[in-house]
Amino acid sequence: MNDSGFLTDFSLFLKQKKQEGIKVIAFLAHDNIPEELIDAVGFFPLRIMFGGNDDLMTASHDYLPPSTCAFAQTCIGLFSIKPNEYDFLDFVDYFIVSNHCVSDICASEVISKYNNIPRLNFYVSYTKNENSLKYFKLELQDFKEQLEKVSEKIISDEILLRSIKKYNNFKKILSELYDLEMLGSKKLKIIQKALLMGPDYSDELEKEIEKIKTSPPLKSQDLKNILLTGCSIFINDELIDLIENGGGNIVFFDTWIGNHYNSQIIEESVINNSKNPLDLLVYRFKNNLYGDHSVSNYLQNKISLIEEFYRNYQEKTGQKLGVINHIIKFCDHMSLMSSFLKDKLQEKGIQVLNLERDYSRANRGQLSTRVEAFLEMI
Amino acid sequence: MSLVADEIIRFTSVLKIAYNFLAGRNYLKRKKFREKKKLIAVALPFSDLAFVAGGIPVFPIRMQIFEISRYLAYLGSASSLFGWKNVSNFLGFARNLGIAEISKLIDDIIEDVIETINNKYNEMYDLGVESGVSSDFCYGLKSLEGMHVSKGKNVDACLNVTIRCSAYNKYLESLQLINERPKQIWLDIPPRNIGNSLELLRGNISNTIKELEDLTGNTVSDNNLRDHFKLGNEIKRSYKTIIYDISASDFYPCNPATFSEIMSLLNITFQDYNSNAMRYRDNMVSLVNEMQERIRKRIGMDVREKPRIFVTPMFGGWEPKSHEIIYELGGRALYADWEMVKLLEEIPISNHLDPVEGYAQFLSNATETGIGCDNDKLTDSYVRMAKNLNADGLVFFQLFGCHSVSNCYTMLREKIRRELEIPITAITFNKIGENVEQVKTRLGAFMEMFK
Repeated sequence: MNDSGFLTDFSLFLKQKKQEGIKVIAFLAHDNIPEELIDAVGFFPLRIMFGGNDDLMTASHDYLPPSTCAFAQTCIGLFSIKPNEYDFLDFVDYFIVSNHCVSDICASEVISKYNNIPRLNFYVSYTKNENSLKYFKLELQDFKEQLEKVSEKIISDEILLRSIKKYNNFKKILSELYDLEMLGSKKLKIIQKALLMGPDYSDELEKEIEKIKTSPPLKSQDLKNILLTGCSIFINDELIDLIENGGGNIVFFDTWIGNHYNSQIIEESVINNSKNPLDLLVYRFKNNLYGDHSVSNYLQNKISLIEEFYRNYQEKTGQKLGVINHIIKFCDHMSLMSSFLKDKLQEKGIQVLNLERDYSRANRGQLSTRVEAFLEMI
Repeated sequence: MSLVADEIIRFTSVLKIAYNFLAGRNYLKRKKFREKKKLIAVALPFSDLAFVAGGIPVFPIRMQIFEISRYLAYLGSASSLFGWKNVSNFLGFARNLGIAEISKLIDDIIEDVIETINNKYNEMYDLGVESGVSSDFCYGLKSLEGMHVSKGKNVDACLNVTIRCSAYNKYLESLQLINERPKQIWLDIPPRNIGNSLELLRGNISNTIKELEDLTGNTVSDNNLRDHFKLGNEIKRSYKTIIYDISASDFYPCNPATFSEIMSLLNITFQDYNSNAMRYRDNMVSLVNEMQERIRKRIGMDVREKPRIFVTPMFGGWEPKSHEIIYELGGRALYADWEMVKLLEEIPISNHLDPVEGYAQFLSNATETGIGCDNDKLTDSYVRMAKNLNADGLVFFQLFGCHSVSNCYTMLREKIRRELEIPITAITFNKIGENVEQVKTRLGAFMEMFK
C-alpha cells in the first residue's frame, strides 16, 4: 500500500503542530503507552508505525545485528536515513524507551542515543496481577512527572480527565468502522490514519464513516474472508495488497493497529465514578486482554477472541473465515507462540497460515505463493 | 593428551560437582518417588524459593540420561566405598603411571563428561526446534524448550521468574502448553525500582512462597528463609573468591583451560545448586580450599604473562571450546556471568530485616543495576566486570536470535574502548561445535593484539 500522499499530508499536519509550539513525543507503536498523559501536557504523541524495506533494515545493522525484529530494524533505519517522505521525524523532541518487548527497548534506546533525542522512560510489568497494576500506576506517576519536568507544566486531574475522555470518544468513533463491510485495505488505511493523527482526525473520521454507511463501497464477493492476527500491518507495507491480490479480504484486524486499540474503550460509568484519572489508565491496562506484552494468559485470551469471532462470523454470514498469523521476522512475542497458536486453532477446526516475513523485496514472490495457496484451501 | 583431564581429576570437589550434575536423574528420581518431594523446574539462578519451600529445584537438563552414566556409576560406587578424595587421588595416580592406555581411558572419561554435557545441550536444542520453536531464537531458549519437551512432564511445578528478555518471558508462558500437568508459579520482578516497587516485589515474593507452600505442603518461616539465604550467601562467597582472588590472580592452581572448564561447570550448576544447596555449598567451600592449597604449594601455573580475556555472555549459549583455544593462543579465559549481572550479590539476612524484603532487594538490584532494564545499564555491568577482573580484552558472544543481550554489542564496544581502552571482539554463535574453525580464526586474530 503506497501511502506517500498521506505521509506528505501528515508531514504538513505535524509541521503545523510544531509551529504552534507543540512538542512531539515518539514511541514504538505499542498499546500500553498512555498517550492521554502526553496529550494532557500539550504534546503530540507520535506512533512510529511504518513498514520497512531493504534499505531501512540494512541501515540499522550499524547498531543492532540483523537477527533483530524487522520492525525494530525499520524504526532505527527511518531515523538513520530519514527518507524524504518521513521528513517529519525531524520534528521529534523526545523518544519513549519502553519494554513492550526487548527489541522495543533496544531500538528506542538506539534511536534516542544516536539521534540525540532526549528519552523518557515507561516500563510495564510482564504479568498482570494486583501488584503489577499498582506498578503500572507507579510508572504512570513517574511518566507524568517526567512530562511535567520537560514541559514545565503541571498536569491537573481535570486536564488529564479531559484527555482521557477525548481519546475514549475517539476510540468509540473508530470502533464504528470495524462493523462496516468494506475492503480491508480501505479500512486499514483509515485505521492507520486515525492512529497516526489521533483525535485531531475525529471529525474527518466521522465523515468517512458516514459516507461509507450511506453508500457502502462495492466489495467483490469472490474474495475469501480473513482474520489477521499477530503483528500489525504498518503504514507503507504492501502486505495487505498482496493478500487482496491473492483473493483475500481482511475482515478483522486482531492487531495493535486494529482491535487491540479499540478494545480499550473505558465505560462511561467507570469514567464518571473515578476519583483519580490515573486509575482510569490502570483500569484500561487491566482490561487490555489482547495485548501481546503480558504473560501468562496472552495466548489463551487470543485463542478465545479468535474462536468467538470465527463462530459469530460464520453464524452471521454463513461464510468461511481463514486466519493469517502475521509474524514479523524475529518478533519475540508472535514468533515463539506461532506454532502453539496454529495447533490450538486448528484443533478447533480453524484454518491458520503462519506467515513469517521481513520487509525485504526478495520475499514477495514467495509470500504471494503462500497466501494464494492458503486462500485456495479455504 | 587432554589439556583439561590432566588436572581436573586432581580436584575432588570438581569431580563431585560434575558427578552430581550428571547423575542428577537418579538423585531426582529418589527424591520424587521415595521421599515424595516436589520437583520444581528452574532456569537462571532463581532456585532459592523452591529450596525454601522444601521442593527440589531442578535445571531440567539434569533429568536427562547422560551417556557416560556407566563411568559415573563406577565413580559413584568407588566414592561410596573409598570417598571422593581417594577416588581423585587414585585417578591422579593411575594417570601418572605412564601406562598410555590407562591415561587415555581417564582422559576419555573426563573429556566425555565435557563432551556429554555439550552434546546433551545440542540434543535439547534440536528437540526444541523439532517441537516447533522457530530457529530464529537463541540457543539457550531452544535448548530450554527442548528440555521441557523431553522431560518437563516429570516436574510438579515450574518457577517462572520474569526478566527483561521478552522471548524468555514468552518461553515461560509456553511451558503450560508443552506440559499441562506442572503447576506454573510466577514471580514477577518490576522492571525498575521506583516508588514503592520494592514493596510490590515483596508482595509478589510472598505470593510465590504461598503457592510453593501449597505445592509442597510445607510452611515457610522467616528462619527457613534466613537459613537458606545464609547457605546461598556462602556459596556466592566461595564463587566470588574463585572469580576475584583466583581467576584474576597471577598464579593458577591448574592450567587456564582446566580452570575455565571448572568455571563453566560452575556456571551451569549454580542455577539449581545441583538440587542440593548444602551439598553444593560444601563442594564450593572444598573447591576454594583445594585451589588455595595448590596455590600455596605452588602447584599449578604461573599465568602472569597470559592476558586475561573476559569471555561473555555464556548463559544463553557459547562455544565451550573457546577457552581451550584462548589458552593455546597464549591467553586465559575468564568467566563471570552471574557476578556480572549481580546474581552473586549476597541476600541481606540480618535479624532486623524481613528476609522477604532482603530477597526483594537482591532481585531488584540484580534487575535494575545488573541485568539492567536497558542496554545502557547492561553495558555498564560488562564494563564494571571487565574492570574488576582487570581484563586485558573482552570476547563477546553474539548469539544468533538473541534480541536482548547480544543487541548491546555496539554500545558495549564503544564503552569498552572509551572507558577501559582494551580490545574487544564479537563472535557469532548459533550452536555448540558448529563454527569452531571460525571461532579459532576470530580468536587467533584477536589474540594477535596481545603479542
